[in-house]
Amino acid sequence: MAFVVLPAPAGRVPAVAASAAADRPRGLARIAGLSGAHLVLGVLAVVSIFPVYWMFATALRAPEDSLSQNPVVWPVSWANLAYVWDAIPLGSMLLNTFGMSLVLAVAQLLVAVLAAYGFARWSFPGRKILFLAFVGSWLVPFQVTMIPNYLLVSQMGLLDTVAGVIVPNLCSAFAVMLMRQHMQAFPSDLLDASQMDGRSSWGTLWRVVVPNMRPALAALAIMLFISAWNEYLWPSLVLRSSDQLVQVGIRSFLGAEGNNWGAVMAASGLACVPILLIYLFLQRYVVDAFVRSGLR
Amino acid sequence: MRTIRTRALALAGLTALALTGCATAGGTTAESTTDVIPELGEDEQVEIVFESYNLLQAGAWTDTIEGLIADFEAEHPNITVKAQPTQGAGAAGSNTVGSVQTQMLAGNPPDVAQLTFDTLDFAVTELGAKPIEQLVGSEAVDEALGGEHPMHERAATLGDWDGELYGMPYVFSTPVLFYNATALEAAGLPADVDLSTWEAVEEAAATVTAQTGKPSISVSCAVKGGSWCMQGMIRSAGGQVLSDDRTTIEFGEEGAVAAVQELRDLFDAGVLANEDSTAQYESFARGDTVFQLNTSALQATYMGAAAAGGWELANTGMPAFGDQQVVPTNSGSALFMFSEDPAKQRAAWELITFLTSDHAYEKISTGIGYLPLRTSLTEEGGALHEWTQSNPLVQPNLDQLDDLEPWVSYPGDSYVQVDDLLATAIEDAVFYGEDPAATMADAQERAQALIEE
Repeated sequence: MAFVVLPAPAGRVPAVAASAAADRPRGLARIAGLSGAHLVLGVLAVVSIFPVYWMFATALRAPEDSLSQNPVVWPVSWANLAYVWDAIPLGSMLLNTFGMSLVLAVAQLLVAVLAAYGFARWSFPGRKILFLAFVGSWLVPFQVTMIPNYLLVSQMGLLDTVAGVIVPNLCSAFAVMLMRQHMQAFPSDLLDASQMDGRSSWGTLWRVVVPNMRPALAALAIMLFISAWNEYLWPSLVLRSSDQLVQVGIRSFLGAEGNNWGAVMAASGLACVPILLIYLFLQRYVVDAFVRSGLR
Repeated sequence: MRTIRTRALALAGLTALALTGCATAGGTTAESTTDVIPELGEDEQVEIVFESYNLLQAGAWTDTIEGLIADFEAEHPNITVKAQPTQGAGAAGSNTVGSVQTQMLAGNPPDVAQLTFDTLDFAVTELGAKPIEQLVGSEAVDEALGGEHPMHERAATLGDWDGELYGMPYVFSTPVLFYNATALEAAGLPADVDLSTWEAVEEAAATVTAQTGKPSISVSCAVKGGSWCMQGMIRSAGGQVLSDDRTTIEFGEEGAVAAVQELRDLFDAGVLANEDSTAQYESFARGDTVFQLNTSALQATYMGAAAAGGWELANTGMPAFGDQQVVPTNSGSALFMFSEDPAKQRAAWELITFLTSDHAYEKISTGIGYLPLRTSLTEEGGALHEWTQSNPLVQPNLDQLDDLEPWVSYPGDSYVQVDDLLATAIEDAVFYGEDPAATMADAQERAQALIEE
């Protein structure tokens, strides 16, 4: 068996070498670019996380060290958490806040599904104007509607109740808008097929539309829950006592004679725990919620 | 987590704007009532609402006030008091008027409300605070202010309007110069160094700064939120913010400009720290700055910080401008009545007198640390004598009462904006290079236009 050594095609080796030589700087540039991007992302991540870290760090310092600027927490102390737990009824506050947020999220979701279904499924006179009115109400700052809402809640006898916090917020224009977008993208063939199967509009909504929009609904529900959980201004106006909702309770440690930062951070840290748990277990949906809403 | 404080400030402003018209409609000025409200019958049950910003704060503040309410109800079994904190407030002491306005709009104002002194004019002329002295009679007012331990004469008239009591002085503090005696000694200065004048303060601060390389003094009067104490500095420099007839803004005049110029000189000399009010007390508590002119109400906070940081806290009164008389002003609040019903008014008066009684000040001073307005309680034989002896830092505050002048409330609906104009002008002139005379004159002109609206 003889082996014939064939000459390499003229110019091939030099061509590959040239290409590699040309690729090398390009590859280096790509790596540098990626490294730079990651560095920027890393810095942004640290900047984003640092306030949360500082909150827990201050909460876990000894009360007398609460003004310390040392980034390392040592020794760790539970005194602030214990003080906060003793000073305000944090357990019941967390429960109340959880209940309020859950009711609000469910109610807003329900209204959003029904309203969006109407807007997306049917053409009727004034549809655009009605939808614009919804969008317009979203654009009106809360401070503008605050006083009329307060009067209404007062006339309904709901001042100083968690119900007074919930009732004016049962509908979220933002949620309606978002759901309408999703409903408009829903395949009309499925709706037609459902109609041909003899389902009513109501049946189509609950048996065809809603089951197919579960991810979007879950994402929106999480967003609404987080938004309700973080609400401060309206509850602080309606509730005449500071011991009903946790966001109002945190205020108890801010004072004219100096703020008790250790306690503020401990209460804030505890108030964040449920949201952090939601994020931990439903991370995919939470990210999805913000992506779907166009928020980053 | 949302920024609680910023949103509450926005709320205060918006509430004031939104409700000005309503408050005006409900306004009551010096009703010409001549009949004194009747005493409550023995079996007459009355329920009243008491709104206090002290109830916003957990711990000693809420515990003390709730304890006093319990004592009151035990003493007056026919009166039930529902105590509530200021509504929609970010921190204690903010939105006191906005809260009453909002509830008034809903037809349900508190019967007794703790309002800060800067709102006196608005509370009386627009908000409809009741003329207490007309309702209960001058004799009853004199009796309430007097007694075995009468209210200090300078304090007793702080809630007066046109010579009549509308707001019962409740709690307040005066500006005190706190300093870190340990840091002074480290800089080679005696712990009892002369700090009686601004010249002396600047000299001492320069010595400390030369050693530490950073600004050593902060003055809360110079930044937003400190106008009450800036009024004291301006008075001490021979000026005033408002004319005696309450028609002309005067914080652009010579005396006021001199006070601002002094602060500017401190800043230019590198000894005055440019920090907001929160950062100021935190820096001092951490030991970063060595002198702090701020409310005496921070004493307990600083005592805790000093104990934790291992340094010695000392204090003295406000510094003087040369040989001029120091004129401290007060922060704090008075109790105003908003009840329409005579029975509730009587119950409200009973509560007001109880909350400003010897017993109440004993509890408030020892529980919260506020200055007792019935100052003779601190003298030998008084219930607070021992407390004063064990808290010598209270003394400069007590001493200043003899020269106290009221925290002036601006006339008109735009009193908040007038105060903001002044604070902004001071910050611009002291920290941001603007000419003090021109800046203050401009602010005066704009403020004048506001009060004439």
